[in-house]
Amino acid sequence: MSSAALTRPTSRWALPRFMTAEHPFPWLAPITVMLLVFGIYPLAYSVWLSFHKRNVVSRQLDFAGLHQWTRAFSDARMWHSLETTLIYTFVALAVQLALGILIALLLDTDRKGYGVLRALMTLPLVVPPAVTGMMFLLMQDGSFGVLSFYLYGVDLISPAQPILTQPGTALAAILLADIWQWTPFMVLIILAGLRALPKEPFEAAAIDGASGIQTFLRLTLPMLRKVIAVAVLIRGVDLFRIYDYVYIITAGGPGTATETLSFYAGRIYFTGDFPYAATLSLIVLVVLIVVSNLFVRLFKVRF
Amino acid sequence: MESSRAQTIARDVLAVLVVAIFMFPIAWWALSSIKPYSAIFDRSGPVYVDFTPTPDNYRVTLLGVSRVDIGMEQGGEAAGVIKGGASSYDSRQSLLDSAVIAVGSTALTLLLATLAAYCLSRMQFSGQQSFLFWILSQRFMPPIAIVIPIVFMFRDLGLRDTYTGLILVHSLINLPLAVLLLKSFFDDVPREVDEAALIDGATRWQTFRRVVLPMVKGGIAATAVLCFIFSWTEFLLSLFLTTSIRTVPVKISTFVTSTATEWGYITALGTSAIIPSFIFILLVQRHLVRGLTLGSLKE
Repeated sequence: MSSAALTRPTSRWALPRFMTAEHPFPWLAPITVMLLVFGIYPLAYSVWLSFHKRNVVSRQLDFAGLHQWTRAFSDARMWHSLETTLIYTFVALAVQLALGILIALLLDTDRKGYGVLRALMTLPLVVPPAVTGMMFLLMQDGSFGVLSFYLYGVDLISPAQPILTQPGTALAAILLADIWQWTPFMVLIILAGLRALPKEPFEAAAIDGASGIQTFLRLTLPMLRKVIAVAVLIRGVDLFRIYDYVYIITAGGPGTATETLSFYAGRIYFTGDFPYAATLSLIVLVVLIVVSNLFVRLFKVRF
Repeated sequence: MESSRAQTIARDVLAVLVVAIFMFPIAWWALSSIKPYSAIFDRSGPVYVDFTPTPDNYRVTLLGVSRVDIGMEQGGEAAGVIKGGASSYDSRQSLLDSAVIAVGSTALTLLLATLAAYCLSRMQFSGQQSFLFWILSQRFMPPIAIVIPIVFMFRDLGLRDTYTGLILVHSLINLPLAVLLLKSFFDDVPREVDEAALIDGATRWQTFRRVVLPMVKGGIAATAVLCFIFSWTEFLLSLFLTTSIRTVPVKISTFVTSTATEWGYITALGTSAIIPSFIFILLVQRHLVRGLTLGSLKE
């Protein structure tokens, strides 16, 4: 495509070629500057912090080599929060993906009224996550929450052990908020994928007498592979960094039962131990870069 | 596939039921915002219709009526029980702060992302996929990790607690997705369109401004809405980087005080905050759905 660009005479102003609109440089320079200043600088600063230690007496940061890193790897609480984060990410991804596919299939029809249903389905996406957290807090309150009331009613939970006070159910309570808010995102993406599928293979399958489930497994799912890969990547990254819902719904409790890695880093931040907080958040970053790179290669995601 | 009448009806019922389940939290939330306190805190069971609706929560948060005045209207005796500042629940300034920041960061994000997305869609250079992955990887940072350095950085630059500061940070977080979305919209426009314009003697810049940009208007609108919603709903960074400026989500969180959680005001302001975003998202839904697949539909 650059053939047109190359033959164009660069006479008028003898600007160096990389300064002209034919070269990527002027197009990408503004965003690069922005990301370098406000993206790379904080990253570099975090890395710098992670090799230092707070000196309580002089209130200075002293160079400490790998101290923070060895501290993190021998910190049982870090491993526990990493485990919680992984459980959270995998459960939420699996449920959101499964529900997303099922609901998208359910809503994918041109019949009257379904357009309204699809529009309503996007509503959870515009609720501020902080508000979502409070919504579920209001519904899951041990004494006047509507959800608690019905769960007591069907004997799933006893009023003596409210949802948010038990380690197992407290994590489920946060997951519920996440699933409520983000399943519609999966539905939207998969609906877009379904709408773009060619009709012919499905007509052929119907003529051959394939059942609905066979058609889904052999045709629909493989053809949606790339769409699903993109959805899983975007969602997975956000899930692994989860902070807001934990902060508002349980604040990591009871004890440290629902403490995710990001939230643990935040908690350390509030104690003023910035070097260790930075180290913990860098662990989140490193895991994400490694896993998402593998994922992009494995599923051949191209942007 | 032919389906029987019974199957059709079963599907309709199921579809309505599923959407109703997803609507329930919002409906409950909006319902709570017009309930008197006694109905919100009823321990004997959920209250659906058995209460007298009241606009008081909205009058306090959106019109700035002081809660003491409302207490007086109700016969004076309630006024004595009310604790805390009378005006701290007035959220009009917060709505303005949020609007300025959301509009500002959306404009900045679009400006930077459109230029980059056009280039990434149309020009080829070595390291292009790496550059894209680098932009995307900006999203990997846990917000808490960028908060620490940015608090120090903003203090030195005088950007703490300013509109400019929050606009910059929200743009930073929005840029990766905006670039990917816009690139997929530009990719939808055939390259032949550019080539024809270039052959006709238009410069690269003119081709971009006059020919291609008008063709992706819908996509740009969808991206703008997504950026606006993100900034409008963002919580953590706004909480750390401001003290006098209070965006709406941060303002709501201040209604949880050490003495009480003001569910009435929380639900009223929360409901009001959802409405503009919902209207915007409906306007661009068609383009958004297409764009969110980030071009993965194409081979």
